[in-house]
Amino acid sequence: MTARRKSPSKPLKKTLPLLILAGPGLLYFLINSYFPMFGVFIAFKDVNYAKGIFGSDWIGFKNFTFLFQTSDAWIMTRNTLLYNLAFIALGTIVSIIIAILMSELLNKLYSKLFMTGLILPNLISMIVLSLLVFAFLNADSGFVNHSILRPLGLPEINWYSEAKYWPYLLVLIQIWKTAGYGSIVYFASIAGIDKSIYESAKIDGAGKLKQIRMITLPLLKPTIIVLVLMSMGRIFNSDFGLFYQVPMNSGALYSTTQTIDTYVYRALMQLNDIGMSAAAGLYQSLVGFALVLTVNAIVKKVNPENALF
Amino acid sequence: MKKKGLGSLLLSMVICGSLLSACGGNSNTSSKNSGDTEAKAKVAEIVFALPSFNRIPDDLSKVTNAINAITTEKIGVKVDFRLFGPADYAQKVNLALQSGEKMDVFTTLGQFSNYVSKSQVAPLEELLPEHGKELTAILDKDFGPDILKTTTMDGHIYGIPVNKGMALPTNIIYNADMLAEAGVAADSIQSAEDLPAVFGAVKQKLPDVVPFGPINVNPTDTGLVNWMKGASKVDYLTDTTGVGVVIGDNGKVVNFYESDVFKNGIQMMRDWFEAGYLQKDTATTTITAMEMVSSGRGFSFLGGYSGMEVGKQLSAQVGKNIETKRIAPFYFDTSAVNSVTWMVSSTSKETEAAVKFLNLLYTDKELINTILFGIEGEDYLKVDEHHVKFPEGMDANTVPYTAMLSSGIVGSESLQYQLEGIDWSDVELKLKENKDTARSPYFGFIFDQGQVKTQISAVNNVVSQFLPALVSGSVDPETIIPKFISALKDAGAQAIIDSKQQQLDAWLAAQQQ
Repeated sequence: MTARRKSPSKPLKKTLPLLILAGPGLLYFLINSYFPMFGVFIAFKDVNYAKGIFGSDWIGFKNFTFLFQTSDAWIMTRNTLLYNLAFIALGTIVSIIIAILMSELLNKLYSKLFMTGLILPNLISMIVLSLLVFAFLNADSGFVNHSILRPLGLPEINWYSEAKYWPYLLVLIQIWKTAGYGSIVYFASIAGIDKSIYESAKIDGAGKLKQIRMITLPLLKPTIIVLVLMSMGRIFNSDFGLFYQVPMNSGALYSTTQTIDTYVYRALMQLNDIGMSAAAGLYQSLVGFALVLTVNAIVKKVNPENALF
Repeated sequence: MKKKGLGSLLLSMVICGSLLSACGGNSNTSSKNSGDTEAKAKVAEIVFALPSFNRIPDDLSKVTNAINAITTEKIGVKVDFRLFGPADYAQKVNLALQSGEKMDVFTTLGQFSNYVSKSQVAPLEELLPEHGKELTAILDKDFGPDILKTTTMDGHIYGIPVNKGMALPTNIIYNADMLAEAGVAADSIQSAEDLPAVFGAVKQKLPDVVPFGPINVNPTDTGLVNWMKGASKVDYLTDTTGVGVVIGDNGKVVNFYESDVFKNGIQMMRDWFEAGYLQKDTATTTITAMEMVSSGRGFSFLGGYSGMEVGKQLSAQVGKNIETKRIAPFYFDTSAVNSVTWMVSSTSKETEAAVKFLNLLYTDKELINTILFGIEGEDYLKVDEHHVKFPEGMDANTVPYTAMLSSGIVGSESLQYQLEGIDWSDVELKLKENKDTARSPYFGFIFDQGQVKTQISAVNNVVSQFLPALVSGSVDPETIIPKFISALKDAGAQAIIDSKQQQLDAWLAAQQQ
């Protein structure tokens, strides 16, 4: 008996200090990530404050219907997905290009300087950014209309009421803002690649481009897959600031700037209904969760070593 | 070691727990303490949240004490006074209601039926006869006996409308100096039809000045919809979407955006826009006409104001010579009254004290003016019976406390002090207009949104997508209005109209009995 009792406690004794170390982190997750999950049931309730949240009536999926009430449902789902796909694809490509260019810079001082410069846009808040964009695009005194189109004799564009330009503008703005920051991880991975591989490639006569294609990119693959997988989980979320603040909440642009987040925000600002907002949040999370599982399964099938789990 | 680990875990949980509970439990203990110290039987404590449109001071304790001195003496109620800016007032109140924090007396800021439909407010009809006699009497005197109908649903009175000038006719607010410079006589402005000529004259004489702008931005509101409501007798029937309205008195619920009244109004604004009377980016601008006027770049805007003295207040605010002319009457519908209503939270444990406090809030001159102006001698000086002024060398921004711009919200306007220079007869005029202004035949009808909540949410989204561009004239109504209407249909506008018609018919039938 005593021997039995001792043996399982031995590994515990070893791991206990680690457990204690992890304790605050676990507690944080418990309080901030797991306890709130019980709130999910609010999505299926008709919340009535006199009865209390637990006493309110169950109404099944009725809270979800408002998301799919209009033709907006299709537009916002399409926008959310396509913008995020564009951000992931272009963002990854641009980040990798930046990382490779940086790593090819032999002068360490320059490379540090450029890196800092590239990260700067990420530190600008969306509100400030929206004003910067406004300064470029506003109809009367904006830089583009006032200093480019007008002197050239071209017709001026009323940017904030023409939806067709915004897909390009938003992608451009997002890449400008995030690519520098995104390149850091790739830069670190490249720095970790064994230099002797490049040297032997050089001896074999491989040029710079061939080195990048044959060595850097294949060795970056695991990093790329992990990062893409992680962003897949957020594919149904959108940066609220980018889609709400930057287009100045202009109604005429909704067909290309409306995402699930902004739709829900606008709807709930007017209704103050936590049942519906919980429903929208749950819908986003479930689809995101399903996407991560799917993409991971595909990666696992193609190359088991690169899968996340 | 194991024990130690467990202990630390427990300890940290206890700390977290106590941190969380600290937020909620605070007010209870303090009320107990005051109960002990006071010799009186029992002092109830209530939380009273007021939106203030003035600067909010860091330290409210002096004013809170002054308020408490009045309330504990007169009704045995202690008040925890909270002051929030208009932008976060609704959010702060909603947060408190949702989290179960103590919040007893608050105002709606336009969300009456929303609070009622979620049972967030307590019915008051049983408490009013006992604790709110004077309050009911003063409302009867100033409005007529049916005013509480606007806050009654299913036989329960859920709110007390504020007692102020509720009739807000549409005015054109303009820079009088510019008008004179353009050589136009103020008397030539009588209706909206007279405005293009005025704008044209101003634009010709002062080419750098924008003749007309929106009163509100993001979303843009040029005041056009309010003008249409007053000029054409449109009753929105208590929700703000505009898809279920009655125009005139035929009892038929229609989609306002399909009506000729709407089309003609939008076409008028489109004509103004194309004539260059508005800025090109009016639909998306972040600058209100008020800011334009005060910087000298703008000439006018449309706004709904009660009384005739508003020009003086605005002149002081924007630093220009501002005058106003009424160009459309006001049309009294239910929401005109119940959009500013005092309510008692349904989770309140002190409903009796809350009603006692509300009663005082409408009838006690001292309490009302302490809440609005602060402490006499420090925050304001008395001039005569009805008028006050700021102490020497101070203004609304530099005195320690003032909430005077909230005067439309607190209690009875006829008991409030006015700033020096404002004609007292204006207050009497406002009270008179409350009784005289044309009332919608559906005054007192409240639409219960419960059945069509999702449609309303979807329709609201469509409205916010199309309406700002239309009311600023910046898009072609010929092509956009049909798109707008079909999007509304997709969003379920018909269900709202049907549900409203059904409720309205039932209400009308009940009225005839």
